[in-house]
Amino acid sequence: MDSKIDDIGCLIRSAQNGDEQAMTRLITIHKGLVFTIIMRMTNDYHTSEDLTQETFIKVFLNIKKVKSREHFRPWICTIARNIVRDYYRRTKSHATISFDQVKEFHGQWDQSTRRRVVIQDALAKLVERDRILLTLTYYQGLNLREVAEVMKMTESNVKVCIHRARKRLRRHLEGYENELM
Amino acid sequence: MNSCEYVDKIIDYRMGQLTEEQKRELELHLKSCTVCQREMIIELLVEDELAVELEPGFIENKTMARLPLRQAQDLRSFWLYAYRMVVLGMTAAIVCFVLLPFLLKFPLKPFPDLSRYTSGLGEFLSVLAPANPILVAIGFCYILLIASSVYSLVHSRH
Repeated sequence: MDSKIDDIGCLIRSAQNGDEQAMTRLITIHKGLVFTIIMRMTNDYHTSEDLTQETFIKVFLNIKKVKSREHFRPWICTIARNIVRDYYRRTKSHATISFDQVKEFHGQWDQSTRRRVVIQDALAKLVERDRILLTLTYYQGLNLREVAEVMKMTESNVKVCIHRARKRLRRHLEGYENELM
Repeated sequence: MNSCEYVDKIIDYRMGQLTEEQKRELELHLKSCTVCQREMIIELLVEDELAVELEPGFIENKTMARLPLRQAQDLRSFWLYAYRMVVLGMTAAIVCFVLLPFLLKFPLKPFPDLSRYTSGLGEFLSVLAPANPILVAIGFCYILLIASSVYSLVHSRH
């Protein structure tokens, strides 16, 4: 873990000096995190790809402002969230996802597709904050301090909200156990 | 649904919030409790579903290709911003030192010489401006310049 942090510290310093290889490596390490957050906010693959690029461009235009490697991940997440909000402010529309859209996206309804549709639908029913909280903690494995920094909440509040979000998600999945198992 | 008291601990377990002893206790419990096993499977399925497949290298290549262009735009924005600031600074200076003292007949008491100069210039402009169409045109262009600067400043966030 420490060596990974040190690697990122070195990459940030190199990127600050204009090293393109370091920038590319930083994108490779963090693109999953950024893309997933944006995808959970927009529910659109191609828009998410564009906004992920936009996020990294903004990151590298401002990378000289990064003073501490510990705050780098939360900082990127904050930029990603702001980029999506700016995008919606500009386009004046908000993403919604329907069961039909998910069905259309996944095509045929085999067992695994049915499972995916059920989970996607349950996730789509959550409010944006719950989706982001679950994404950051479950999939991206950010620690409580990092999540708190991204969400501008206290650590104890994050913990409470994650528990509530998880319970809400579980409630939306109720009755679909057969599809999931 | 949550018929087992350990269910709530699963999320703490997944977030690494349990002590070693609590972890061992939960892992032992998971081996025998079907309710918790089912909850754990759902947790893992959700985690899988949150993951999104990305084409390798696509985001990297696109970003690195767009970056130099954006850096150039950023530099242009900086000079544009500097230009707007100069225009606004000049406007503020003219309003403070020429127009206001003239219109309000406000003597700049701490600077009597400057006061004499500014009100003199104000009177000079007020006499010349209506009579001289070139000066009126310059004034009109200047007002347009200020308006465009203010407009672009307001809309310069992106």
